[in-house]
Amino acid sequence: MNKWKKKQPATIKPFKRPTLAGDGFGGRTGFFLSRAITNIRQNVFVNVVTIGTITLALLIVSLFLLIFVNLENATDSLSERVQVTVYFDNELSSQDQAMYREKIVALPGVSRVSYVTRDEALKRFKSRLRGQETLLEGVGAEILPTSFEIALKRSYRETASVENFVSALKRIPGITEVQYGEEWVRRFNSFLNLLRLLGALLGGFLIIAATFIVSNTIKLTIYSRRDELDIMSLVGATRFFIKAPFLLEGLIQGIVGSALAVVLLFGVYEGFLHNAGSFLTFNPATSGLSFLSLEYVAGLLLAGALLGFVGSLTSLKRFINV
Amino acid sequence: MIQLHNVSLAYQYDASALNNIDLKIGKGEFVFLTGPSGAGKTSLLRLLYGALTPNRGQVLIDGQNITRMSASQIPLLRRSIGVVFQDFKLLQNRTVFENVAITLEVLGWGRADIGKKTMHILKQMGIESKYNNITQRLSGGEQQRVALARALVNDPKILLADEPTGNLDDANKNQILNIFKDANIRGTTVVVATHDRRLIEQGHKRLVTLNKGEIVEQVEKETASYDQAI
Repeated sequence: MNKWKKKQPATIKPFKRPTLAGDGFGGRTGFFLSRAITNIRQNVFVNVVTIGTITLALLIVSLFLLIFVNLENATDSLSERVQVTVYFDNELSSQDQAMYREKIVALPGVSRVSYVTRDEALKRFKSRLRGQETLLEGVGAEILPTSFEIALKRSYRETASVENFVSALKRIPGITEVQYGEEWVRRFNSFLNLLRLLGALLGGFLIIAATFIVSNTIKLTIYSRRDELDIMSLVGATRFFIKAPFLLEGLIQGIVGSALAVVLLFGVYEGFLHNAGSFLTFNPATSGLSFLSLEYVAGLLLAGALLGFVGSLTSLKRFINV
Repeated sequence: MIQLHNVSLAYQYDASALNNIDLKIGKGEFVFLTGPSGAGKTSLLRLLYGALTPNRGQVLIDGQNITRMSASQIPLLRRSIGVVFQDFKLLQNRTVFENVAITLEVLGWGRADIGKKTMHILKQMGIESKYNNITQRLSGGEQQRVALARALVNDPKILLADEPTGNLDDANKNQILNIFKDANIRGTTVVVATHDRRLIEQGHKRLVTLNKGEIVEQVEKETASYDQAI
């Protein structure tokens, strides 16, 4: 192999040692990039089809993502209601309060602890019995318990975690009565799991379908240009040299396609979903849907780039022999 | 320059495409490969530029055993071999210049050098005025000259041609033959596979006849049997 290489200059003797395109990484990348852009310009139709396919595929996936993320957010705010309450028969002194609070906060998973005094409890009770206050006549605050209300962190709201937390809580001396609405927590969590499973399944199928469609489109476009691949290899281009412009082309197609998908998604969002007020109102505070966060948008762009690149890579494999 | 030892080749469902071929072609030689369709001319040429590997035997190009080359070495081999076909194999939607320059781009030449050298070879082929035309719109003879320019632009050691004049009229055939001869005079080893009697007669070079995958006759150009053979 080296022999061939060394002999090369002899065959191109009449001219100086050629420079530029082959020299260094920068020169090569520049050459491949200009080649990829020329290719796109010379095969406009094929590129429009590929980019359009990537755009549509990613638009469908991202639309699903948008709805799924919003649903997750809604259930997230709903799960705020997973709350553990510790009851005490007597009003606690401020020293005791501080002591219990410290011990509770020391447990893993606590996000917020608030103390409910007897007066506060009575106030809540009254507000719940609005219109029937007479029932409470003669009832003083002293019959009501005082309590700590403990909100849990997001990852501690699973049924098992809540149960663990409660048993840990009960180990603190002085704490005997704990309530957390077992049944509700269990149902809520199984609903959430079902939702996630459905989402993952649906999302998975969508992604598989999108990948399949995009990779086949790319395969067809490369098939339509197999002459070019043949000729390149005939005049002694290395595999890398043949592939690089096509891969860059795929990368550009992927990025443009996914950028278009994000723009279109934003358009759809602004046009319809933004003020779909009554949709998904678990929590009255959130009316309508929110747009995907920056991380998701970046992820979509990356997915597009990857789709174009890997699609080209796998298709090229089939058409380049030697 | 080219040596084949005991080369046999079989396609998957075919009995055998080539059978026990022994052939030596010296540096600077000009050889016609002839024989009926299906005799194995194309297969033989494909072996020489590494598009096929024989099932048995050795193929040596310029001292390099290409049957032992790895896939990554084949491109380097091809840089010193020019190949032309009956159907030209040009990029139809590209200009003449782009079609020829591709050979030098692959070699990593700079833009200015590519321009100079490409125009130089187009001039030799007599098609420099068409450099900016799309190849699709050229006549058959012109297209074959573009293909030849692409094959010869980096002064290859070997030029292989598979039925290069199959689609051309007599005037164009002569032009193409003259280009082969010019390249040969400049030191390129030329192997032309053809069943075109006229081309062989006019070329008047060494003749190798294949039939059913075997070499049935070899005639040197200066011997008495040459005229008889053709």
